[in-house]
Amino acid sequence: MTTVSTRDTGRELRRIVHINEEIKSVVATAFKINLMAMNAIFLAKRAGQTALGFGVLSNELRRFATDLQKQMSQLREMTYGSVATVTALVKQARLSGVLDRTRRESDGLSRQLIEELMRTRHNQAYARHREQIATLKRRLGQMIADTAQLVELGSLLARSAKIEAAYGGSYSAALMQVSSDFERTIGEIQRSLESLTKQQEDPS
Amino acid sequence: MKTARVIFEAGSHKWIALVRDPNRPEYLIDTNEYLVVDGDDAILLDPGGSEIFPAVFSALSAEFDPRKIDKLFASHQDPDIISSLSLWREFNPRIKCYVSWLWTSFVPHFGGDQETFVALPDGGADIMVGSQRLQAVPAHYLHSSGNFNLYDPKARILFSGDIGAALLPPDETSLFVEDFDRHIRHAEGFHRRWMGSDKAKRDWCARVSQLDIDMLCPQHGAIYRGEQVKRFIDWFAQLEVGVVKA
Ligand SMILES: [Fe+2]
Ligand SMILES: [Fe+2]
Repeated sequence: MTTVSTRDTGRELRRIVHINEEIKSVVATAFKINLMAMNAIFLAKRAGQTALGFGVLSNELRRFATDLQKQMSQLREMTYGSVATVTALVKQARLSGVLDRTRRESDGLSRQLIEELMRTRHNQAYARHREQIATLKRRLGQMIADTAQLVELGSLLARSAKIEAAYGGSYSAALMQVSSDFERTIGEIQRSLESLTKQQEDPS
Repeated sequence: MKTARVIFEAGSHKWIALVRDPNRPEYLIDTNEYLVVDGDDAILLDPGGSEIFPAVFSALSAEFDPRKIDKLFASHQDPDIISSLSLWREFNPRIKCYVSWLWTSFVPHFGGDQETFVALPDGGADIMVGSQRLQAVPAHYLHSSGNFNLYDPKARILFSGDIGAALLPPDETSLFVEDFDRHIRHAEGFHRRWMGSDKAKRDWCARVSQLDIDMLCPQHGAIYRGEQVKRFIDWFAQLEVGVVKA
């Protein structure tokens, strides 16, 4: 007879905690990009005519940071939702464990009763929860993929900003510095997302 | 597994004590559960914690069809009393749990919904089991602030919850109190520390002295019989309670 192990559900909870931590770090980084973009916009204004392209890109980067923050808050909502599902699963697992112990201690009619209960209501509830978790995981995976695409765009913007910086005349060095910072920071986000994706795909 | 011992039987009216689980881990307090049967109907008194559910369930099943249990009585809100609620509900989702009104929004943390609980008013109430009328007798602050005993006038048994409880050494396994003086030593520290109110204690002693009691059945330790019942009440009446250090 199948029982839900607390190990399984414990792993699910740890996975969610990990995802949440990763999301938190991305949110913090997105906030940083937003600030950096604002500074870049001011810098481009000061540089004037020579940094027009750079200014446009900075505006785009700022929009990117805002989109990313929105995306992340949706992702976070989703993981909160999965905490409720996993909690239900943990409860089910505990119940399942006690019932299994009861089955082992019983015989005759009471054993029959327990087996019947475990087979029907119990396993159904378990299957339902597993399905909910699978759905959540799928949606989460989709959302992470969408985010990765968004970040890819950000990375492209940062690289273009670097090229634009070269035409910044006397401001070139300063603009170059700013666009390198963009590139590095977006790189951090990419690594976070890679870790999230791995966490998602990891069957263990 | 626990043992089911019939402690009273008259026609189809029965009291079954579920006691002494040799496999119980030491870190869990030992508890007694009681099943009062009248014909086809039954009520389970202080069904116990979820950890000991397997032991209670299997011992009980030997004497009574567990699907027919549609009433639980919780003397108070402690986990060793009623944390198995959600498991009993698995077998009968319409099961009723009688408990002090104080706890009807606390005990649902162990399971159950608004349909599950029957709130007992402070003054007590009657609970019908089969054709027998049982009485929920107030025992507040002993130790829980919303606390009830259950009296069966037909069997002349008082289920006293934590009152009369003794934390016995593992080698004392007798179902009934044998030597009162020796037994009460294992009850003293518990009563001093757990029981909170001297006034409530005096009230309780006066109240139960009016009842005709052959057996006083606590949730922990051995059962008091005959003369020992009065001896226990007298002993309790003079004991100083609500004491942190002896
Ligand atoms: Fe208690
Ligand atoms: Fe107790």
